[in-house]
Amino acid sequence: MSRMGYESLPDTGAVAGPISKTDDEPANSGDRFYRLPATPVTTISASKSGLTLDLHSLWTYRELLYFLIWRDIKVRYKQTLLGATWAIIQPLIMMIIFTVFFSKLARLPTEGIPSALFYYAGFSLWSFFSNAISNGANSLIGNANLITKIYFPRLIIPSAAVLAGLIDFAIASILFVPLLFYYHISITWRFLLIVPLSILITTLALGMGILFSALNARYRDVRYALPFLLQVWMFISPVIYPSSLVPQEWRWLFILNPLTGIIESYRASLFGLAVNWWGLGLSVVFTLLVLLFSAYSFRRMERSFAEVI
Amino acid sequence: MRPIIKVDNLCKQYRINSLDQSHLRYDTLRETMATAVRQSLTRFTGNGHSASETLWALKNISFEVKPGEVMGIIGPNGAGKSTLLKILSRIVEPSSGYIELYGQAGSLLEIGTGFHPDLTGRENIYLNGAVLGMSRREINSKFDEIVAFAGIERFLETAIKRYSSGMYVRLAFAVAAHLNPEILIIDEVLAVGDSDFQKKCFDKMGEVIRSGRTILLVTHSMDMVLKLCEHAILIKGGEIQKMGPAEDVVNYYYSISDPTAPL
Repeated sequence: MSRMGYESLPDTGAVAGPISKTDDEPANSGDRFYRLPATPVTTISASKSGLTLDLHSLWTYRELLYFLIWRDIKVRYKQTLLGATWAIIQPLIMMIIFTVFFSKLARLPTEGIPSALFYYAGFSLWSFFSNAISNGANSLIGNANLITKIYFPRLIIPSAAVLAGLIDFAIASILFVPLLFYYHISITWRFLLIVPLSILITTLALGMGILFSALNARYRDVRYALPFLLQVWMFISPVIYPSSLVPQEWRWLFILNPLTGIIESYRASLFGLAVNWWGLGLSVVFTLLVLLFSAYSFRRMERSFAEVI
Repeated sequence: MRPIIKVDNLCKQYRINSLDQSHLRYDTLRETMATAVRQSLTRFTGNGHSASETLWALKNISFEVKPGEVMGIIGPNGAGKSTLLKILSRIVEPSSGYIELYGQAGSLLEIGTGFHPDLTGRENIYLNGAVLGMSRREINSKFDEIVAFAGIERFLETAIKRYSSGMYVRLAFAVAAHLNPEILIIDEVLAVGDSDFQKKCFDKMGEVIRSGRTILLVTHSMDMVLKLCEHAILIKGGEIQKMGPAEDVVNYYYSISDPTAPL
């Protein structure tokens, strides 16, 4: 029962009143007392080296995950005049800046896609990704009061921070409707691909957010280093330029970045271009590896969070 | 009767003033790397052991609590009471020993945990309830009761950063008081607000106790221990000094404490 630090039996639901079977309980104890189960509901001991992801306890606490996502969304645009419109304004302004300076002045190619569309697709995806990672990375520190006072699977905190960003991404994506219409882009079956692609980039953001949040809990350096890292990551991904601009001999390195396949496929599916399935497959594999690695690292570090944060 | 809480040989060790301190305090990567280098050097040059000083926050703590019992935990500041509660609440891990809990446990180490200042009273009731382990259905069914208990009906849609501090603690206590696990672990969160509300809190506690729930209560108020608890544990220096009927333990505590110091 105590192979791991903490283990719980399945949640008994709303735990009011007597449940489960009696053992050696005196017969006259009546309903006043809760009747003891035969085995402990919870065993607490020092954790051994063997670690599992403990997906079961995550499932038990899914309602808390929901509430934390809901809180993050509710709080985000409190006391702002424009509210959720900010989710559109940010990538829109980036789109305008890049269309004017990079496309019109610097004449950077956009692979035949109207430059406004090219940049908006890149930036709406990128700003979701980078915001999700930085919110995720700061989430444990921001919720230190919860971590030092209440028990729950800690993975919930960075997960909620990352997932809360999806709503902004969805709002920003609404602008594609008028944009595609205005530029007379016909919608193909590939358009459906944006759903699995969104799940894929969310998974990647989840992996990175989880990893950085755990590192940040111990080393506050992460908070300062992360903006640079994200900046570099943007420049090595096809956010503001197409991958065709990358010299052939460097293409293999470029495609090792899991974001490359995702962004390229995302544009391809929106604008009805050919999808590089091989590159996308590589992204899927890397993304899953990142998530698995992060989740295990997180579980290793989480036992000391309450003490180091 | 079998115990609902069984604590066996529980120990918690902290390292202080050691080269390995990096594991306890947040710090920078640079320091950790420097420490790692230094440590591997001492491993070659020294006797292998760094000058680490250990602190036993808890040492060989064993006790049992019967279902429906209200157990008081007393002791001077720094005795290890809070560490014990944190281990029982699964917030920190013990160094050795184990605990078995034969029921769902809920802990109140602080009221208002998870309150967000920008959210309204209504929103915070749901958030705080969820954080404390209540399901949405459970909160829904107790919502009116919580609001009435806190007496904040008129301010439900107001952000709680605009609440007076009295309203804030009343709301926080109200949510906490409606928590419903079999085992309740409480750290001095009682008696908040003005005297009227304090009485209400005390009555509510009595109600909770009479409902047959098992309670572990850490407090500095001997009065409260004598009034609410059947049994008590005195912890000092991380070890159990005395355990038994509340009155005996409190009297013993008085006898070993400095009589001039306020309790």
